[in-house]
Amino acid sequence: MNPIEQYQLQLTRRSLLANGSRALGAAALASLSQGSSLPAAGSVGGALGAPHFAPRAKSVIYLFFSGGPSHIDMFDFKPAIRKVHGTELPDSIRNGQRITGMTSGQKSFPCVAPMFQFKRYGDHGTYVSELLPHVGGIADEIAIVKSVNTEAINHDPAITYINTGTQQVGKPSMGAWVSYGLGSPNANLPSYLVMISKGRGQSQALYSRLWGSGFLPSKHQGVKLRKGKDPVLYLRNPEGIDSGMRRRMLDRLSKINADHYREFGDPETEARIAQYEMAFRMQTSVPDLTDLSDEPEHLFDLYGADSRKPGSFARNCMIARRLVERGVPFIQLFHRGWDQHGNLPNLIRKQCEDVDQPAAALVRDLKQRGLLNQTVVVCGGEFGRTIYSQGKLTENNHGRDHHGRCFTTWLAGGGIRPGIEHGETDDYCYNIVRDPVHIRDLNATILHQLGVDHNRLTFRYQGLDQRLTGVEPARVVSALLS
Amino acid sequence: MKTFPCMRALFILAVLKLALGCSISLGNDLIQFNRDVRPILSNNCFQCHGPDEQHREAELRLDGQEGIEAAFGSAGLAESEGWKRIISSDSDLQMPPPESHKELSTTEINILKRWIEQGGRWQDHWSFVAPQRPTIPQTSLDKWVINPIDAFVANRMESRGLSPSPPAERARWLRRVTFDLTGLPPTVEQIDDFLNDRSMDAYERVVDRLLESDHFGERMALAWMDAARFGDTSVYHADGPRDMWPWRDWVIRAYNNNLPFDRFTIEQIAGDLLPDSTIDQKVAAGFNRNHGTTDEGGAIAEEYRVEYIVDRVKTTSTVWMGLTMECAQCHDHKYDPISQQEYYQFFAFFNQSTDKGMQTRNGNAEPRIDVFDPLNRFKQRAVQRQLESVKSEREAHLTTIGSDFQNWLQQRSREVDARPRAPDDFLARFTLDHESGKQVDNEVIGSPGGRVEGEPKWIVGKLNQAFRCDDKTYLNLGKLADFERTDAFSYGAWLYAGDKVNGAPIARMDDGNSHRGFDLYWYDGHVSVHLVHQWPENAIKVTTTEKFVKDKWQHVMVSYDGSSLAKGITIFVNGENQPVEINHDKLQSSIRTDKPLLVGRRQPGSPFGGAVDDIRVYGRKLETSEVRAIRDFDPVFPLLRIAADERTEDQVAQIREYYLKHHDAVAIRLAKRIDELIQEEKKLAAPVSTVMTMQDAAQPRMTYVLNRGSYDAPQKDQPVQPGVLQALPPIPDDVPANRLGLAKWLVSGEHPLTARVAVNRYWSLFFGEGVVGTLGDFGSQGDWPTHPALLDWLADEFVASGWDVKYLIRQIVTSATYRQSSRATVEARSLDPENRWFGRGPRFRLQGEFIRDNALAASGLLVSQIGGPSTKPYQPDGLWNEVSLSGNVRFKQDQGGKLYRRSMYIYWKRSSPMPVMTIFDAPTREKCVMRRSRTNTPLQALVTMNGPQFVEAARKLADRSIREAKDSTAEQITYGYRLATGCRPTADTLSVLLQAYEDELAVFNDSPERAEQLLAIGDSKRNPTIALPRHAAMTMVMSLILNLDETLTRG
Repeated sequence: MNPIEQYQLQLTRRSLLANGSRALGAAALASLSQGSSLPAAGSVGGALGAPHFAPRAKSVIYLFFSGGPSHIDMFDFKPAIRKVHGTELPDSIRNGQRITGMTSGQKSFPCVAPMFQFKRYGDHGTYVSELLPHVGGIADEIAIVKSVNTEAINHDPAITYINTGTQQVGKPSMGAWVSYGLGSPNANLPSYLVMISKGRGQSQALYSRLWGSGFLPSKHQGVKLRKGKDPVLYLRNPEGIDSGMRRRMLDRLSKINADHYREFGDPETEARIAQYEMAFRMQTSVPDLTDLSDEPEHLFDLYGADSRKPGSFARNCMIARRLVERGVPFIQLFHRGWDQHGNLPNLIRKQCEDVDQPAAALVRDLKQRGLLNQTVVVCGGEFGRTIYSQGKLTENNHGRDHHGRCFTTWLAGGGIRPGIEHGETDDYCYNIVRDPVHIRDLNATILHQLGVDHNRLTFRYQGLDQRLTGVEPARVVSALLS
Repeated sequence: MKTFPCMRALFILAVLKLALGCSISLGNDLIQFNRDVRPILSNNCFQCHGPDEQHREAELRLDGQEGIEAAFGSAGLAESEGWKRIISSDSDLQMPPPESHKELSTTEINILKRWIEQGGRWQDHWSFVAPQRPTIPQTSLDKWVINPIDAFVANRMESRGLSPSPPAERARWLRRVTFDLTGLPPTVEQIDDFLNDRSMDAYERVVDRLLESDHFGERMALAWMDAARFGDTSVYHADGPRDMWPWRDWVIRAYNNNLPFDRFTIEQIAGDLLPDSTIDQKVAAGFNRNHGTTDEGGAIAEEYRVEYIVDRVKTTSTVWMGLTMECAQCHDHKYDPISQQEYYQFFAFFNQSTDKGMQTRNGNAEPRIDVFDPLNRFKQRAVQRQLESVKSEREAHLTTIGSDFQNWLQQRSREVDARPRAPDDFLARFTLDHESGKQVDNEVIGSPGGRVEGEPKWIVGKLNQAFRCDDKTYLNLGKLADFERTDAFSYGAWLYAGDKVNGAPIARMDDGNSHRGFDLYWYDGHVSVHLVHQWPENAIKVTTTEKFVKDKWQHVMVSYDGSSLAKGITIFVNGENQPVEINHDKLQSSIRTDKPLLVGRRQPGSPFGGAVDDIRVYGRKLETSEVRAIRDFDPVFPLLRIAADERTEDQVAQIREYYLKHHDAVAIRLAKRIDELIQEEKKLAAPVSTVMTMQDAAQPRMTYVLNRGSYDAPQKDQPVQPGVLQALPPIPDDVPANRLGLAKWLVSGEHPLTARVAVNRYWSLFFGEGVVGTLGDFGSQGDWPTHPALLDWLADEFVASGWDVKYLIRQIVTSATYRQSSRATVEARSLDPENRWFGRGPRFRLQGEFIRDNALAASGLLVSQIGGPSTKPYQPDGLWNEVSLSGNVRFKQDQGGKLYRRSMYIYWKRSSPMPVMTIFDAPTREKCVMRRSRTNTPLQALVTMNGPQFVEAARKLADRSIREAKDSTAEQITYGYRLATGCRPTADTLSVLLQAYEDELAVFNDSPERAEQLLAIGDSKRNPTIALPRHAAMTMVMSLILNLDETLTRG
């Protein structure tokens, strides 16, 4: 048997192993995953071979609002909150909980009711702020979880926690776990893509670790999709080189590499040939993806005027839908600018203007195309904001500090129960009184919809079978599932 | 067609079983508890039956002899309670229990079965038992063996029926070893030299040359940087800049100087605590400051202070001991003998440091020290020598000036005698020439002097020395110049207006009392005078119409005739009577104030930012000629006016100094040179940076066990003292109970882990994998060593050699094992797919840094300066500000040579590290990383095909090949190929590359504008002597070569 044939055989053996790994036992799987150099992008199978159980969704679109969007001003409304406006936060509510160094020195903690009107939407009459009329309009499609909570009270630890499962740095992001576990059905695109847009408020920092691969092989790190001529870094051929010239180069490269493989028999060489071919395909598939000229006018109207602006949140939402159409399993949008320590009424209005229509449009668009039932859309931030004002409360102005005890995230599609509210907070939107959902539970639930048992998607590192949800208990929130 | 894959699958399954059987086959070996059984028990049982007391079930410990004997006995399967549980299908009895999500595989059950049958014997965990020097095994491959490493490897191969591969071709071995020891490719000359060197010790001499190269230190430092989580930014929140590169320089030097690993360890962990520690040792201790720090406004400082200590414990235990101590932060370790209490004893070593929880987003946080460039020290000595020589030149010159000086003196004395004299009836005069402290002297004998408020700055003035004023610094001259509006008086000085110029150089004025008093005021170049009783209604103000420039000495004198009228004021600038605008002219009451006369401000406002010299106050009106005489006054005049025969020796000496300074061209030139050299020496003596270091508080901080690891839950009833793990040798009696003691304990030679972990890490640099695969986990969840005896021999040899790193590495890379070809036959690959038994040479993709450095070196672009601050080569736009706090931190690319420095110096912003590196698996270095992943992705292909650094390198490589190998296109391509891959292309390859050249040449001949576009990429200049199409076509060929598997792989 010649080496090329032998290699083909090995490839087949690998995919066989991958698919049948459970039957073959953990030891076989371990030796497989070490020896394998199958690329994340372009492979069907991930380390799991197959999901643990029948998935409800093929893809996740995570609309991540970085900075701590105010649950109080957007979703978590109750008429009683109007009564506490201007009163001092009672000790019985604060209950000795720690607060950040930015407001711990304040002498007074005056409560602030939202300075916005709320309307009831959907069959269940859920309250949504006047800031989010479009999201209100899809109330029957989404599950609004008002009891998400985290221990972190500052941006860096909180955003690291929700995205990687711990407040300490160094762990893989959720998207990287999904890429590692499930791979991707699309041979021409990476399995985890990230898009960043800037809001109009105070932008908190982001970190590549939020979409990083931690201790997982680095091929699972999120690939940034950017505006401009190189949506993926270094995608374009250098000036002066066209696709024909690139093709000729790759043909020759493959020939020489194949000779080299014949001589040394290193499967990495064969894999490299395949990677160069995929790079070439990406040079076409990625511009096709980000070129929206084939989208009809009415769709731009649906997503709003911003969708014509490259790099906007609205534009990224449209691209996210196109990624789902192409089978990409994990797509994450980071929209910045939610950190309103001061001047909140003014700033949050602008932030909401930028996201309301496109986020709702995304859900509608997916639904129209029959994709919503196989796509989980998640929308939320790293924590919420305090009921009490940071700085001075005036007639029409105030700020809010960080608040991790409760905040609101909504989910839609992919087997999520539509048209519900889940969890309840007290009259101060400060403590959870019913059905808490820890961010670990939220992450476990998202994985569950992809057919992954968060307890069993593990990777041995530094002696521990590491997992996204860590060592503390986490549970799938069954009330959210349809 | 449909049936074929199925049949094939069946066949494959059969092959696979064989293959698997081989790779994890236990043959007829005796089951070894440590190798075979412990990993199964650790992974499946220790969680409930391990070291963690809190969660121990049924009082059963399977990580100890007693529990093992109780559960598995020695009486065989039938009697073994453990075995019954393993095979039970009753979910109440079954082990592991179903709810644990743990399940034993058939293979694992088999192993346990055979182990129990063989007696179920316990072994202490191998890595906690000190290595015994193993005997070097006998082998039938003794002809192949070069050094003991090979005997150990051969022994293992033989027992598995494997045999070694033939040696690698010399050129390939040379490239392999050159990359492994320096991170750079061999030059063509080095390749030719080695190919032609047929002497017995040719290999050894190459290794010696490489170990002596300064690039060796760079290569080793790069590996250490991952473990030491080195970065140029602070990680958390703003991820702001810091300067830790002097620490990196220290590591490079340490490896180049072959600092023994025990010294290296002591200085990295505790350099600051060594008696009379040097700056260098304190720099080394910066190891423990490389971790991330926060500046987030809302952060709770103690939470982060604890986090930093947690990081240090994790890093220290992982890097030096291969222990996952971090698992015991919240509870006893589940797998290894590390209790939570012991964790905090270890934590206590680091809990003494004075650095704060809340640090900075801007530079280095305390404690930090100044660092000096050793190269500057060297240059400084050269400058000192130069200075000495110029000084002696000046001395020599001075002996020759006699008659010139006398002639000048006579002539000048006559000239000066004829000049008008500056009036010497001043009420006060401050020359400021002799002051150095806070007192200033009045030339009027018997008058009180003044004093400096703020920190005095004495500078070179118009006449000798002058005084510099600023916001905080001025002169208080006391109750001088107590003038009434009816008095005639004059005042002035030489002024040098600096940057912040608007203010009062001279004033006796009370701001608090409607500005009563008088002043001289400089505003936007105009000079004003105020005489004020009550501003503005009862006051005079006049202002020059002309504007005067700053950064130049100007002589300003005010003369007033006591008329209480604006026209009674004359302002002289440089002796010229200035036209003025009268702003106010209504002074009817007293201008006297009890505030003092100040130079540099009013009382208390209007500070003047600039210098003043020769301040004079007269109690009368001055005439124009008198003011000019003051302007022309020179301190030497009074001396020159003294009759020659009345001058004292001292006075002559003063005149002579003056002459040398102003009138002797040679002396002036030499003085200037001396001054320059002094300045240069000063600059060289100045610190080049600071670096963060460690420092323990004078008053020890109490350490408590933190409940569940939480910073705000110290268990005050559980104070702990610094201490080491029970399961390891005790800390020696003669060392202090601090970090220094900890470091000495690690390298005492008794420690079972330190040397093993270190040699394993070094081994992995050259073989791609460790003898223990888990470089950072030698605990019971870690991998079993493939070659335990080899590991122990290396560890023992390392310690016995005096922890000699270069010696150890020399042993490894001169071995026959290392010398093998990396060619894998189908059979060899199926028998040992991962080359765990080292039956062939190590082969793996170059790490990202080396891929870029290879392109730079091959093309000749590489700037191989060693050490220094980090650099910012090409990076796509916008990457920093799309993630940075408020989006306002932007990447600013460096220019010139800094674009071509080695990749280990790339500025490492840890929230957005350089993509060219991260795409090739470089970790973010936010945390200690012992082993990088090694992936193979399309994004990597995009970088090396399209990244400007690589396109530019291809252009320069084309240029270089055309220039240096002139004969033919084939020669030139071969030359470029050798530069990039270290080998010659095969005939087939060469013909493919030649065809590529011809094809692209045709394209570029047709469209030279495309050639121009391609060749414009990168900042370096294109060689215009090469025709565009030819250069572009050759660039494409070189780009192809830079993308070859052979280029990217070190085989």
